[in-house]
Amino acid sequence: MNFDDAIRLTEILLGFAFAQQSIEHFSSFANERLLFIPRWILAALLIAGFHTSWVLLLLLIISLAILYRFQGPYNGGSDRMSLLILCCLCLVHFAPTLRWQEMAFGYLALQLILSYFISGWVKVKNPQWRNGRALRDVFQFSAYPVSEQLREWSKAPWLLFVMSWSVILFELIFPFALLSSTSLYIALVIAALFHFTNACLFGLNRFFWIWITAYPSLLWFQLRIIAVS
Amino acid sequence: MIYNPFKLLLPALLPSWNFFDVIAPSPRIEFALLHSENDTSTQWQEFRPRPAQLPLSKMLSRMFWNPRWNETLYVISCAERIMENTSQNNLYSHSENEILNRIMNDIVCNKMLTENHKAQDNPTTHLQFRLLVIQRKGLELIQEVVFQSRITPLSVCTLPMGDDT
Repeated sequence: MNFDDAIRLTEILLGFAFAQQSIEHFSSFANERLLFIPRWILAALLIAGFHTSWVLLLLLIISLAILYRFQGPYNGGSDRMSLLILCCLCLVHFAPTLRWQEMAFGYLALQLILSYFISGWVKVKNPQWRNGRALRDVFQFSAYPVSEQLREWSKAPWLLFVMSWSVILFELIFPFALLSSTSLYIALVIAALFHFTNACLFGLNRFFWIWITAYPSLLWFQLRIIAVS
Repeated sequence: MIYNPFKLLLPALLPSWNFFDVIAPSPRIEFALLHSENDTSTQWQEFRPRPAQLPLSKMLSRMFWNPRWNETLYVISCAERIMENTSQNNLYSHSENEILNRIMNDIVCNKMLTENHKAQDNPTTHLQFRLLVIQRKGLELIQEVVFQSRITPLSVCTLPMGDDT
């Protein structure tokens, strides 16, 4: 994927993710609607490609206001990834040279790789994750399972042991997917399925949409590395 | 203390990505309806208990429309912020207000006040919540109360959120 196509696709996916997030606040408190209705309009303009640079800047200003309103992210990691993508796109649009633009977009790709690798690294270091206990605890008493029925999964230790190691190994080997385009596409499909599963089991739908928004940066980055080497 | 938004932006620009590195103690929120600001809570109700089952169709539709669950996750993160700062009153007041407001909306907007609560001779007029924390100690799960909010009057609700379990 070339640089311009990757940027444009990221803008469209970010617009969709922001629109989806924003519309969920339309029936909320008045001071939330005041922030999220303009954000939804700007997200639509971003998808349409209307004065993209200024729309991105306005979205960043609104995002800061939202951070202030909630005194931090509303939905943890997904909001942080949203802000990271938004900041990188802003830098791409306002950077003076192509080299700086590529560095800003490359930073996003690098963070995407780290988001998987570091998650795997902190898990493999923890004996509770290695023996499957951590994932059992997630299902048994954490706040995330979306139904009481899912808590029953904590009574299937072998299943959770296999699931734990599948997640850990996938996250740790993710950087090696950059070795070829084919392996990268396969890895991104698996990663998207992983986020989709998390969305179904733990209600983390925003993670799914925002993580796939960062994928075009990695598809470009992988080709850029090959071009350099 | 109110944090500067630029300070709040920093963790997004330099993320740690240590998702689920340890399974932290998990908060539960319970609330009680009171008859006065000096009343003592005796009957605690769980805030937004999860459904017994969730059909696959509902899980899939939540990919696009999931406001209530996302709000619940936000309320849980507010509870975690309180648990981290219980010794510093000025650090958790924002989170305490956020939780109180959202419980109040559930109570008033979703018409959780029964005729018994509205009884003329002794109506329910105030609200309080508490945080329970569930954590593993060895092979057992321990549950303890770690925080009780201030008692606040039930006010008029302006949020038509609707029920979406």
